[in-house]
Amino acid sequence: MNQIQMSQNSSFSLISTKKIIQMSDVWTSYDSKNFALEGINLSIDRGTNYSIVGPSGSGKSTLLKLMNGMMIPSKGIIKIDYVTPQMNNKKFKKMMHTIGYIPQSLGLVKNISVIENILLGSLPRLTKVQSLFKKFPENEITEAKRIIKLVGLSGKEERKVYMLSGGEKRRVAIARALMQKPTILLADEIVSELDNVTAREIMELITDAQKTMNLTAIMVHHDMQLALEYANRVAVIKEGKKILEIGVEGDNIVDFQTGDMTTQEIMEMYSDDA
Amino acid sequence: MTPKNNILIGIIIALLVVASYNVDANPIDFVEGLPNLVVVLDEMVQVEPKYIPTAIWAMFETIQMAFIGTVVGIAIALPLSMLAARNLNSKFVYAPIRAFLAAIRTFPSILWALLFVIMVGSGAFAGVLAIIMYTIGFIAKLQYEVIETIDSDPMDAVGSIGVSKVQLITYVVIPESASHLLSQMLYMFDYNIRQTSILGLVGAGGIGFYIINYIKFFEYGKAAIFMIVVLVTVLIIDWISVKIRDKYIIKSQHGMEVKTK
Ligand SMILES: Nc1ncnc2c1ncn2[C@@H]1O[C@H](COP(=O)(O)OP(=O)(O)OP(=O)(O)O)[C@@H](O)[C@H]1O
Ligand SMILES: [Mg+2]
Repeated sequence: MNQIQMSQNSSFSLISTKKIIQMSDVWTSYDSKNFALEGINLSIDRGTNYSIVGPSGSGKSTLLKLMNGMMIPSKGIIKIDYVTPQMNNKKFKKMMHTIGYIPQSLGLVKNISVIENILLGSLPRLTKVQSLFKKFPENEITEAKRIIKLVGLSGKEERKVYMLSGGEKRRVAIARALMQKPTILLADEIVSELDNVTAREIMELITDAQKTMNLTAIMVHHDMQLALEYANRVAVIKEGKKILEIGVEGDNIVDFQTGDMTTQEIMEMYSDDA
Repeated sequence: MTPKNNILIGIIIALLVVASYNVDANPIDFVEGLPNLVVVLDEMVQVEPKYIPTAIWAMFETIQMAFIGTVVGIAIALPLSMLAARNLNSKFVYAPIRAFLAAIRTFPSILWALLFVIMVGSGAFAGVLAIIMYTIGFIAKLQYEVIETIDSDPMDAVGSIGVSKVQLITYVVIPESASHLLSQMLYMFDYNIRQTSILGLVGAGGIGFYIINYIKFFEYGKAAIFMIVVLVTVLIIDWISVKIRDKYIIKSQHGMEVKTK
């Protein structure tokens, strides 16, 4: 529906390839009483490094779960590349293969090795027989090794995941997502628990991958400063509502409601919520 | 102690007395019967060593029966437990499977043995079938309970890649629960050796067949040899399983406790 409205003032083909995620008046809840999200509108361009920031319990994780079909809205419309994200939607199920999702707790399989975890990202590309006998094709193993090098885990291929540090575990989760050859990367507070140096290393890693692979990255952050540093766009969520969305270009920040603002002003607005 | 608890204990004691009366359980009979035990024990110490090879051979047969029963039982139980786990299936799948497993579990192994003796005739095969049935009912329940307690987190994360259910089971569910499943299998084998030792009572093969026959003919000395062999075997198997558990299972479980967060 959205793309049809938008196509009226521009060329259809251009618009239809530009928007990758659209949400219109999305409401959702875990129980029948409280809404975790209340009327979210979002529109994310392909290739954007998008950040979602907000206080604890504001609905950030919920928003990501809507984007990978793990939750469905009780009201409103969501389109991922013009497909409705739902597990039982055949078209979306296929799309899931290329949506990398890193949950807040990473979701790694702890008793298997680094490389085995990373290879999980290639499971949809395996034949039934290959997958049943755990026989990964040579090219996938080569690819996994390339990604291991990329994320800086060389030499730790055979290490069991439970023996890794917090930063290393995050690298494994990123590598597994990259192994999916993703078009969208969803990452939930992936650097929140890390020290400043490691957090920035991980952010650089994702930003580089995002640029070279023309990924659309949607990352949830606790820290506004970090979001402003790396993202092109930042949405601020509070109590299930989007209260602010800003565009970031270097030091220039554009508030979509009121016009230009300074970083200082944004930080002040945000600190009221934290 | 609250008055409520006192009433509860009073009720339990009253039930104990009533039930004992009903089943004719008289402590006086027990005391009066003790001298009989002395007679048995006296005869038992007059062991006849020439029966030791037979006893060991019978025990070996018992272990083989338990082994086949355990392996085949587990092979059937594992897929059933995957279908019975609530975190992997819809109600329409797990509810009937659970009911089926519960039905199997209502029979103790000796009853299964009796049933199979009628079906396939007396001998070790009936015993093996009985152990298979018992193992299915018992271990499938233990296993679906383990599967239900595994972390939902990696399941959600890998599930959101859009993998199939079989892939989810092979690549997440089994690795995450492997050490528990393995420890249960060892326990089951251990337990099945004890069980198989008595199946001979109903003619379903194994060392129990000798024991029951010697007891029937008051040849306690011979029975004792066979019972000692069972005891020693069970102790050895117990010791081996503890070693295996320590070496492989405790180590990996230790790892499981390390949270990703
Ligand atoms: N599984 C669940 N069942 C019920 N309510 C939930 C569940 N998960 C989240 N909620 C509720 O939904 C709201 C939004 O939660 P969400 O996890 O999206 O917040 P968040 O912004 O990610 O918080 P945090 O920064 O602490 O991770 C909260 O009020 C939370 O209590
Ligand atoms: Mg969250």
